[in-house]
Amino acid sequence: MLGSTADSLFWMFRYIERVENTLCMIESGFQLYLLSSSNLYNEWDAILRTNSIRNHFLKKNNSLDSLNIINFMFKDPKNLNNILTLIGKARENARRSRVSITLEVWEAINTCWLYLNEELNKKINENKIQIIIKNTREKIALIFGFLERSMLKNEILNFCYLGAFIERFDNTARILNTRYYLLLDEKKFRFEGYDNFQLEMILRSISSYRSFMWKNQNEIKANKVSYFLISDKDMPKSLMFCVNETIKNLKSIHKKNFTKNNSYLNALSIQTKIKQKNTNFNNYSFLNSLFKLNMTLAANIEEEFNFQ
Amino acid sequence: MTYVTKKYDEAFINKNSVRTNYKKLINWFKDQDNNELRKKNSDAMKFFQNTGVSFKVYSNDDKENLIPFDIIPRIINYKEWDKIVRGITQRVLAINFFLNDIYGEQEIIKHEVIPLDLIQNNPAFLKQMIGFIPPKKTYNHISGIDLIKTNSDNFYVLEDNVRVPSGASYMIENRDTMIKLFPDLISRYKVFENKNYANKLSEILKKSSPKKANRNPSIVLLTPGIYNSAFFEHAFLADKLGIELVEGKDLRVINKYLNMKTIEGWKRVDVIYRRIDDIFLDPLSFKEDSFLGVPGLMEVYRNKNVTIANAPGTGISDDKSIYSYIPDIIKFYLGQKPILKNVKTFKCRVKNELKYVLDNLNKLVVKEVHGSGGYGMLVGPLASKTEISKFKNKIKKNPYNYIAQPTLSLSTCPIYTKKGLTSRHVDLRCFALLAKEKVTVTSGGLTRVALKKDSLVVNSSQGGGTKDTWILSS
Repeated sequence: MLGSTADSLFWMFRYIERVENTLCMIESGFQLYLLSSSNLYNEWDAILRTNSIRNHFLKKNNSLDSLNIINFMFKDPKNLNNILTLIGKARENARRSRVSITLEVWEAINTCWLYLNEELNKKINENKIQIIIKNTREKIALIFGFLERSMLKNEILNFCYLGAFIERFDNTARILNTRYYLLLDEKKFRFEGYDNFQLEMILRSISSYRSFMWKNQNEIKANKVSYFLISDKDMPKSLMFCVNETIKNLKSIHKKNFTKNNSYLNALSIQTKIKQKNTNFNNYSFLNSLFKLNMTLAANIEEEFNFQ
Repeated sequence: MTYVTKKYDEAFINKNSVRTNYKKLINWFKDQDNNELRKKNSDAMKFFQNTGVSFKVYSNDDKENLIPFDIIPRIINYKEWDKIVRGITQRVLAINFFLNDIYGEQEIIKHEVIPLDLIQNNPAFLKQMIGFIPPKKTYNHISGIDLIKTNSDNFYVLEDNVRVPSGASYMIENRDTMIKLFPDLISRYKVFENKNYANKLSEILKKSSPKKANRNPSIVLLTPGIYNSAFFEHAFLADKLGIELVEGKDLRVINKYLNMKTIEGWKRVDVIYRRIDDIFLDPLSFKEDSFLGVPGLMEVYRNKNVTIANAPGTGISDDKSIYSYIPDIIKFYLGQKPILKNVKTFKCRVKNELKYVLDNLNKLVVKEVHGSGGYGMLVGPLASKTEISKFKNKIKKNPYNYIAQPTLSLSTCPIYTKKGLTSRHVDLRCFALLAKEKVTVTSGGLTRVALKKDSLVVNSSQGGGTKDTWILSS
């Protein structure tokens, strides 16, 4: 496989995953808006910081107006990570690697792009926001579904998954990074205004609130939330799950030689770090180091496999 | 709506009487519910949109355009087709002999069949290739021959395209679409398949591999990238052929061989199916500032360590001024009369022909010798007086750059509109593949149709559409 093809596959799925993650955040903010929640501004503030777009947004707007933020995240060209740009980049990479993916995967990406262009290039109607999010998430699920069902189980697929899991790790790490203070040990660090609602919002921003509550008998606690997001190997958005999947895919590409490669060794060190910190992971520098290690891992992959 | 036939129409003799080829089609059409057809018509566009079949027209916006597709197929019977195949075969072979000769002994010039200056001063003639024999003596592996019909008997050759002819992917996609939309119609006819084009192309590329490659040859398709107008086709063909789709940046010359950058390091390449023009192939040999090609590629080629298809230098043979000599070229190399006729062509480089052209501009179509895609031409009968006088000056300044042809009465075919069938002008691009002096003409082709009433311009870059083309096997 060409290095440049691996590059396109990897980035195609980073962008697709990023679209999904951004949609989840928009949805969690929008829900608060509908409920006129008193936490609304805190939540938008956290979401904008998570995406590193708070300053960009405030250059043009002087208040955290919900619909302006949503518009900014959906399609404002000043926001380089707006949904419309992201899906455009995903499709561009799909076009570059068109020969490597199946017609089914390609059509699923292309129709998702067509749909978002049609919906987002006109004025976004408040009543349609939830429908657009739901439809887009369904279309993304279709992409992943066809990826699983129609592609050969070879390194092409591995690069797609590497992109998706590196990106997902990055997203969860960013969310934790931004809101680490909520996850501090509640007995030692209780502070004013702290309530379970904010923990709930963390889970909602990655669409995992229901599964957490199901797993924890409807009881929400900071240490349980952090375990769930960092170490739970069954939870598809946890750091542990993402790094395990990354390791699996790297092993499969490298075949026999995997132990000699930096990407593999680095992924392994992330895994070890998470395991060791099992009980006391709730501090900022720990999360920050994981976040950075993941970035290094992405760079290792780009270098080892001769991306452009 | 009444069907009006002014010129030669391939389906109707007049509004009440249908030609044999089209009888079943027209009967079928009469039974269709128009609302249903309207829906299928829009389904067809949606199908193209979803699969991403697009064609980018060079303009300021980066929009991808769909080539309009007409749901009424064009039908050609076996007898007509047989003649086309023989005619194209003859032409493609003659062109290859011509190219071998013109970069070799130049017998055709010595025999004064073709004037020396036509070659010598021609930018499409690559002096770098003089004396070089390409692998397997093949230049034009892939040819796209454009035909027009003017009356019941004859197809004429309008243009030979042997640089980087495109359109084969649309031919195949059009058929897929028709099978999906109208299985009940296509099953009424016995239609030749066209999708074996990809297999044949794969075969001839393998056969073209340089001698030294003694294993299964590694073949790549070289594209200028996703912003190229024909990128869809490049990806489509690479996919169908099961070969890597590469850009210049993926390739490098290492130790006298061409290599591509894979996830496991550099790997040898034996054959390039290139979809970029000669001048972009190698910045060391041609255009210095080109990023599309590979530095040093021509050196590898000259050492016969790689095959380039079509061979560099092939463009000299599809030049519009050479076109007018093709009948002589066929006669010279094959000793045969051309089976398919040329369209009468006036060479502005010849004094008395130039005079005729200048005196009759309002009746003629004037084309640039190196133009393509319908750009840079004058359609006399449709042009204003100022346009004509402007063009007259252009021709006088550089007569060598122009040829002229009478306005042809292109045949028409029915197209579907919401109000019913209506007639529009068409042409036909046929695809021929050459390996080891054997020519394969794909049964079918790309019918291009002018969608505007009375328009003769069928180019997709200028608002033309396409149709599926059915060759009947009996």
